[in-house]
Amino acid sequence: MIEINLQLLCFMAAALLVVIGLGGMLFLDNIIKKIIAFTLLSDGVNLALVTLGYVEGGIVSILEPGTSAGAFPENAVLIFGPGIVLTNIVIGVSTTAVLVAVTMVLYRRYGTLKASKVLKGERK
Amino acid sequence: MNESISNLWSIPLFIIIPILTAIALNIMYNRKKAISVTAVASSFALVVISALSPFGFHWFTGHPAVLPTGGYTYRADLLGWRLSLEYYYGPLQQIAIFLASLLLLFVVMISIKSLKKNIGPYISLLFLTFMSSAIVIMVNDFYHMWIGVEIGSLIVAGVVLASGEAVSQKAALKYTFFSALSGAGLAIALALILGVTGYSNISDAIKAMPLSNGSLASILYVAFGFTVLSWVYAGGLAPIHPLKADVYGASFPHATVLLQAQSKLMLVAIGLLLLRVFGTLPFAKEVMLSISVLTMMLGVVMAMLQTDFRWTLAYLIVSHSGLVTLGISLGTVQGIIGGLFQAINDVVYMSVLLLACEGVYYFGRGTSIKSVSGIAKRAPWLAIAAILGAFAASGVPPFNGFQSEIILIQASLNYGMPELAIVVLMVSVTTFIALFKGIYNIFLRPDDALNNNEKTGTPVPKILYACLAALIFITVLFGVYPQLAINFLTEAALKVVYIPWVP
Repeated sequence: MIEINLQLLCFMAAALLVVIGLGGMLFLDNIIKKIIAFTLLSDGVNLALVTLGYVEGGIVSILEPGTSAGAFPENAVLIFGPGIVLTNIVIGVSTTAVLVAVTMVLYRRYGTLKASKVLKGERK
Repeated sequence: MNESISNLWSIPLFIIIPILTAIALNIMYNRKKAISVTAVASSFALVVISALSPFGFHWFTGHPAVLPTGGYTYRADLLGWRLSLEYYYGPLQQIAIFLASLLLLFVVMISIKSLKKNIGPYISLLFLTFMSSAIVIMVNDFYHMWIGVEIGSLIVAGVVLASGEAVSQKAALKYTFFSALSGAGLAIALALILGVTGYSNISDAIKAMPLSNGSLASILYVAFGFTVLSWVYAGGLAPIHPLKADVYGASFPHATVLLQAQSKLMLVAIGLLLLRVFGTLPFAKEVMLSISVLTMMLGVVMAMLQTDFRWTLAYLIVSHSGLVTLGISLGTVQGIIGGLFQAINDVVYMSVLLLACEGVYYFGRGTSIKSVSGIAKRAPWLAIAAILGAFAASGVPPFNGFQSEIILIQASLNYGMPELAIVVLMVSVTTFIALFKGIYNIFLRPDDALNNNEKTGTPVPKILYACLAALIFITVLFGVYPQLAINFLTEAALKVVYIPWVP
């Protein structure tokens, strides 16, 4: 029997966000909606990364005076996850900026945000 | 091992110099003289640093490997935990970065000559393309590998957009969407490996890999799948090869020189990572080999169908990426040497062909085989360069393509898969046909307009001929004396096969 805890719930939420984002990117026709779907996908990945380092009742991963050296490795949360999330947020913002910029250029050229029309080179 | 025993000074320079130059060029924007001096000086400095730098490590968290008994070791082959974001500059990295910086220098000089406006931002993107290649080929941790691939993808979109055509804008949009997908995939792979092993450093992760644990091994398969996705994406392998071909075809040909070099270095870096980390998983090599064969076949077939020389080259670059990955996927020392040598050669001879294609643009009628002809009469040296490049790409002796393809064929036969050798031969022959279809029509076919004394376009700049001459020299040099390049590649191949935890 799988025990339902906060970490599992967070992983499920992350998987849901990734699936919604992936579905939106692949199946929605509006480019702006595709970009929003990408941000959902990115958030899902971020949630998965943060959840990875979660330790129930854990302590901050800084060895402070008075902390038991023996208990520290077992109780300290994994700090790499949040570190990667910070980078992923920056990369996500940069990618979104590039996508929005290209979308603006294409909208000026074709007068539509429909990916199917833009990629075929049809005007509105 | 010839590593220095402290943080190597040159490694940060390969990252910092391109970034600072990019910032400076952006500020200069359109001041052509200042941009020319800064860009050429910076790219020349990168060539010199890559040639003169000793081999060694750079640890971004400040210390080398920690021994199980305590204390540090500077020796890469000893069992120690590295626990750091680590870069390594060895023989493979030296030849790869030297070639990339040389191409950067050539492309910068040609861009300055050929572009009229927004030169600063455009050349700054070229420097960042070089930087992302350098990161990916030197890095020994998953975290920086992921960042390198992500940055590289965004920069590629910028370089493609710079050509300003509708086709380039559409290519950039599609490419950026897929970069978002594969970037997320690589981040998930990183998270899974981190969760299973607890380490971001690739050497540490390999040593901590729980292959005997069934439930954790299944997680590793998922991580392998996501890493393969990013490999396929970064290198433009099948089944998403049309995306990468769009990117190559929609950029300026001189920019494609740098883009294809970046793509090959990413293929090599992620391919070697896949072998080192997941090489012992059942079916891993088979999956990689299948993707390679599919890429080669689809690439050459698509190249044969093109009527624009630029697009023929775009699909041939994709197809020859399959040759590179074939060698790496075999996972034998000979195969890996063949794959790495093919990557180096491919970058050089494709650059010759792309620069010859750039030369055709100066005649003002595009690069379609239907609209342009008779160039050989007006620019015989350009035609000779294109023909020599085509010989090299088709694996004709004494050019470099012959040497790497013969190693790949021998490696396939020794691996017990003669059918792979046949595919390599087929790619060579088809490349020859596809290239000479374009070269005959563009350079050799008599031109009616030319016969009527109608002259269009502008003279091809001398710098383009100088770059072509230098690249053809390298093509012949590696063809006549392949050991010159192979000496740089053997160490990396031996490490991947026998001591995969050593970067």
